[in-house]
Amino acid sequence: MLTRFSSILIFHKFKPIFRVIGLTTFLLVSCEEAKYELDNPFDPENMDLDPPALFFHPPEINATVGAPISVELYGLKLDSSAAAHLDVRYDWGSVTVDSVVPGLFFTGENNPMEVTVDEQGVLDIFIYYLPDMESDQNEGGTWSLATVYFSTLSTGESELLYGPNTRLRDANNDSVKIKDFGTGYINVE
Amino acid sequence: MSFCLATESTKTVSLKTGNHLAVLRFEGWAISDPLTEFLTEEFRKTVRDLKIFHVQDRGITNEINIFYPRKKDYWACWSEECAIDLGRRLDVNYVIAGNIQKKGDDEFLIKGRLFSVDMETTLNEFAMNSSGITDSLLLEMKKMAYNVSGLPVPDTLSVGTDTSQVAITEDIKRKREWIKLPPIPSKIKALMMSTALPGSGQIWAQKKYPGYGFMGTEATLGLAALIAYTQYNKAWGGFEKNYNAYQDGTDPHTLIGLRPKVVQYAADTRRYNAFMNNIRSVGASIWIINMVHAYLVAPNDDFFDGEYFFDLEYKPDVNQVQLNFNFP
Repeated sequence: MLTRFSSILIFHKFKPIFRVIGLTTFLLVSCEEAKYELDNPFDPENMDLDPPALFFHPPEINATVGAPISVELYGLKLDSSAAAHLDVRYDWGSVTVDSVVPGLFFTGENNPMEVTVDEQGVLDIFIYYLPDMESDQNEGGTWSLATVYFSTLSTGESELLYGPNTRLRDANNDSVKIKDFGTGYINVE
Repeated sequence: MSFCLATESTKTVSLKTGNHLAVLRFEGWAISDPLTEFLTEEFRKTVRDLKIFHVQDRGITNEINIFYPRKKDYWACWSEECAIDLGRRLDVNYVIAGNIQKKGDDEFLIKGRLFSVDMETTLNEFAMNSSGITDSLLLEMKKMAYNVSGLPVPDTLSVGTDTSQVAITEDIKRKREWIKLPPIPSKIKALMMSTALPGSGQIWAQKKYPGYGFMGTEATLGLAALIAYTQYNKAWGGFEKNYNAYQDGTDPHTLIGLRPKVVQYAADTRRYNAFMNNIRSVGASIWIINMVHAYLVAPNDDFFDGEYFFDLEYKPDVNQVQLNFNFP
């Protein structure tokens, strides 16, 4: 003799199975979305500059008395150039210039030629691209023009500025447009 | 009772028409299905051992249930038309159909008919009475096998008890108690198979083209998802590498070069992820359709109707499909 035992709704019965299948499928073929924030402070796009521009990198330096510091004179999206006169103003009572090293902006087949004149807080740097068999000027872009090495003399805050004589020239001795200039900041403690 | 098929005449017929025989499962009246199945199989085995007929295997004979689903009483294929039709489908020359009826407490009546598929006629009809326990039934089935084969019944079957068969019967009982699992309805089996592997349930239910279709579609979607995932992984690797470099970098020249790469790789990961999401939706939908389809196309098991382990039933009064469990 058979006895009817119970009745269960089929879809209710198989609901956990459907759930497991769905979850497994989801896990198998679904992946993490790429999330990002391009907020690096050294990214020129975050410096509020209107290219082509010149800026100091890093824009803010903290140092102690007697410690050597360096700052790069950086060009942002510059056009092709053959020479530059960089007029850098600094607080000559707070820091003193040790040396200047040309950057990669004017480095081609040959190393660039560089002349430095440092007089009471005004540093004039003249850099020239040395032509080779293929080019007489660089390709432009975002590069370091030169690195200035300072020594700190006394505590205090001083500003780094590009002076009005700053200019770039191309191989035809025409001016290369610079729309914006950044500033730098040295804090000696 | 009549046992009229002579050995010589059987051999003559065999030469003319071939000797392939299908023994349809005997119909049990007031006796259990497992016992009927066991007696039918013993009958098959005895006829096979006598080597007069080439007896078709039980599995192939029972496939008629899948190819040609019928009601529970399809075994009671008692008419020539029905038996010959089944014989043609099973590609045999002869068909035996029969039934075992319980007449009293210890009394059984066994009836059988031998049909010739080629000649489209009933060759013989058998009926045997058995009184006693199951062993007696078994002996009667064996005797019937001799009669069907046109051979004289040996004396050993006429007297005494077949002790070896008693042992086998006990083995069967033991298996039933410890090993045999409850039967699963074909529809549920097909559903479970297609849930595990899309299309497999349909293929099992002999709906091969839809089965291969579902399997192929899911495989194609899986391959597309795999390719998309590989591309995503590549893009994600590029994204992580460049984004980490961007976050840790201090050189403006490097940073300004990394920025567009980060943006590009992030866009790529989003694109491939969206593609995978679409594949997931389509794949899941087809998977569910495949499951429903497998359930629908699988054959009905009429012997589950309210008498066996469980069954599906539509209840019009509550407008629900219900799964019913039955326990003896």
